[in-house]
Order: sequence, then C-alpha cells, then structure tokens
Amino acid sequence: MSSSSSPMQSTGRKLKLKSKDDETFEVEEAVAVKSQIFKYMVEDGVSNGPIPLPNVNGKTLARVLQWCQKHADPTITEDELNKYDAGFIDVDQAVLYDLLMAANYLNIEELLKLACMRVADMIKGKSPDEIRRTFNIKNDFTPEEEEEVRKENAWALGP
Amino acid sequence: MEACTDFLDLLDFDISLKILTYLEDPSDLVRVSSVSQSWRNFVIANGLWKQLCLRMFPQLSRVAHVIGLNKCRATEPVEAGSSHSKEWESLERNDRGYALLARACTSFIVRDCISEAISASSTDNYPEESIDNTLAALRASYWSSKGQSNPEVPERLTYKLADDFCVITEINIRPFQAYFQRGEPIYSAKDVRFRMGHLKGPTDVGNDLLGDLSPVSADDKFIWTYTSQEFPMAQESRLQKFKLPEPVLCVGGILQIELLGRVQRQEMDGLFYTCMSYVQVMGRLLSPTFGVEILEPSGKFVLEIKNNTLVEFQPQPNIPSADQLERRFRDLQHIAYIGNILQGNVVVDMDEFEMGEEEANLS
Repeated sequence: MSSSSSPMQSTGRKLKLKSKDDETFEVEEAVAVKSQIFKYMVEDGVSNGPIPLPNVNGKTLARVLQWCQKHADPTITEDELNKYDAGFIDVDQAVLYDLLMAANYLNIEELLKLACMRVADMIKGKSPDEIRRTFNIKNDFTPEEEEEVRKENAWALGP
Repeated sequence: MEACTDFLDLLDFDISLKILTYLEDPSDLVRVSSVSQSWRNFVIANGLWKQLCLRMFPQLSRVAHVIGLNKCRATEPVEAGSSHSKEWESLERNDRGYALLARACTSFIVRDCISEAISASSTDNYPEESIDNTLAALRASYWSSKGQSNPEVPERLTYKLADDFCVITEINIRPFQAYFQRGEPIYSAKDVRFRMGHLKGPTDVGNDLLGDLSPVSADDKFIWTYTSQEFPMAQESRLQKFKLPEPVLCVGGILQIELLGRVQRQEMDGLFYTCMSYVQVMGRLLSPTFGVEILEPSGKFVLEIKNNTLVEFQPQPNIPSADQLERRFRDLQHIAYIGNILQGNVVVDMDEFEMGEEEANLS
C-alpha cells in the first residue's frame, strides 16, 4: 500500500524542510502539521521554500518525521500505535534527548510527552545510586549532608 | 557503554520539570531528592513535593502557607533579613512539609475516624432512635428520620471526626432492617452524598446540640468545602461501602452524609422513613504530626508541621460512658421485648450482638 495514498490529504501539498546539517526532507502537509510550528506556518500561508531548522540534525529529523507519518495514518489502530510508540522510544539516551529537544522545538505535544515519560520511567523504582549511574550524575553531597538526607528519607530509601 | 548525561544539566528547564512531574509515587520523588545537590535543589526550588501533593489532593489549593517547627539550623552566618535566604527557607519548609504530608497520606493506618455524632436533620422518637445509635455496630441499634409523605425529602447526618485534618478514603453505611415489622422492611435511602467542611466561627460544637436540629440551623453552623458525587444505595441491610474516587483531605473535621430520597414506607402510618444502623468513616488521621488553622472568611488554611518526623495518632482506649452503657442495655432489652412479642418466631442473628472494634478492645 503506497504511503502517500492517504484519503485524508485534500491538497497533496508537501513541505520542504532543511535540517541543521543541510539535509532536506519533503513531507506531506497532513503529516507535518503534527508539529504546531508547521501547523501555524501552513495556516498563515508562509510554508513556501525550504524551512530551515537550525536546531535539529538530519538523523533526528528523519526519526521525528517517521513518527509523525505513523501518527497521521488514519488506518492505524490505537493498539498498533501504542506498540509502535513503545518500540520507537526504546532508544539510547543520546537519541532520546535529541528526540526530546526536537519535539520541544517543533512543538509536537504527543511526542514530547512520550519521550518525557520514557525518561521518567528510567527513574521510577530506582535507588539514588542507580539513578546516578543511569544519568552519570556525580554525588556532590558532603558525607554529613548525605547522612541527613538519608535520615530524613529512610522510609523511601530502604536499609 | 551507552553515553549517559544528567538531563537536568542538558535539557531546558521546562522539559526537566515536565519529566519529574511524571513521578507520581512519593518514594520516587524522595529518591530523586537524594541523588545530588543540584537535583535536590531542583526539587525544592520548583516545589515538586507541593505539586505532587496538589495532584493527589486538590483540596490543598486552599493552603495559605506552611509553618514549621522553629528549629535553629546551624549554618554559616547569613545576612539578617536577606530576602534570598528567607525565600529559600520558605521553599525548604514547603519541601519538607509536603514530603511529610505525602508520606502520611499514603502510609498511616486507615481507621474509623468518627469521634461523635453531631446532629440529624430529623429524628423519630428522640432519644431512643437518635443519630448516636449509628456509632454502634449492633444491628438492633439505629437512627430513624421522621416520617414524610413525600419520598423526595432528604435527610442529613452530621458527624465530628477525631481530627481536624484527615484523609478520608471511604464511608461505610448499613441501612436499618426493621426485624420487628412485618416483611422486615429495609429503610435505606435511594442515593447518598457526602460533604466535608468545618465549623463556622470559634465556638465548640460539643454536646450542646440536640439530636433534632432543623436542617437550616445545622447547615448555618458549617462551611462545606467538599461535596462528593451521588452514590446509589442498595436496599440491603449489609454494610455498604462508598469508596471516594480519590482520597479526600478533610480540613475542619466535619463530615455530613446526605441521604437523598426514601424508598420504604412504614405500613403502620403510610409514611416514608429513612433509618440507618451503622456508619463508619474510614481514613487516616494526620495529627499529631500536622495541624491546621482555618483562616476565615477566605476558607484558606495554614498547614502546620508540628513534628519533624511522622508521628501517628494513637487512639485512647474507649471506655464507654454511663450513658453509652445505659443505651446498650436499653437496646438489648428492646430485642428481648420484641422477641417475646413475636413469641420466639424471630430468629435472632448473632450479629446483633456483634461489638464494634472499640468495644471489643476494652481491657
């Protein structure tokens, strides 16, 4: 099934995007407007010519557009979408942060939420030490401060 | 090895905030605060504990401010009146207070929080059928409303809770089944609804109120800050549990049960009555760790942290008063009397002699 035969498209117009490392992408309007930024541009009629995106690199933009494509597909079921999202967001931290920042910059609410929840999931249930290891955080408490924090919060920190 | 980075350093402030607000379990937020100085400061500076508590209990939006113990913190000398440090102190106090509150609200033991009955909107045969009877688990003991020809006339039962500040999770009510009437009718209500609030003004309710206050004067005495949805009530004489969709913080210690609609006519006079046998309000008492002071007329309140660590309420052993003993004796006499009238044709359920928890714990 051709990916561009979506019955939702009324105009079949495409947007041209340019990533910060000069990669160009063409994407259907119906897909691009998942991003509020592009939605306003389309509504205001200022979407001619390649739109420069100095904050997003080509690799990340490709991934984001893939996500948008999937989410703009009217034939996909909610179950399939959830499965897709779970797989999509299962990436290493560097990619995850890139996706987060891109979703924030392009104002794609659902993708931002997906990525933020993924980071939160990486924190849930972990001990402070495990959290430090996951995110490479230095424990900069003095021994006295650490003891005080531990005492205050013994109920959640465990033995 | 996968490259990993502290996202608090890397990401925009609002994204970091968004991530941390997805943590719903208080234990997670505690561990986050214990990771590093900058993480702890982030939690304090952005009031994450307060946000967590507000999500759990929207009633906290009425907190005017938090006051804590006046403990001296030995730190490096700070300029007197320095606004930055004062603001930080206040943030730290909030952080501590709300963290304690979240923990108390999820870990304290759930128990029956009713301390005494205040009033009923109407009472038949006062004092034999007064609202006080709903505090005893005996099936034979009950409160009855006055009769009405219109079944839509509601009734209200008002109770004082053991604490001005508590978290209520569910209310249990057993409608009364008149075992001594033909057909053993059950005088339940059609629906129930709950309100919570506080006393207007400084006067103590105490035992001055009679059980037969008219609805207008009873309501005049209280300000209601929470009203629940309506719950349908079954016409069954079992203990029915009405679980609140989310636990609710009751500030002021007053709870009212609204009995909406009557379903049972009394054969003798053709009037509709509502009668309840037992009421329990299940929740967690937050004193002595916390105290509240309601600021009238705004309805806002001050949250006071009285203890640095959680101290759970210890109930005093409940030794019944002479009045209570007398009432219990009357109840048992009543059962025996009715039993005689029906010439032993009624089966006396051993449950009728079941004791409430406090009574069973008498040493």
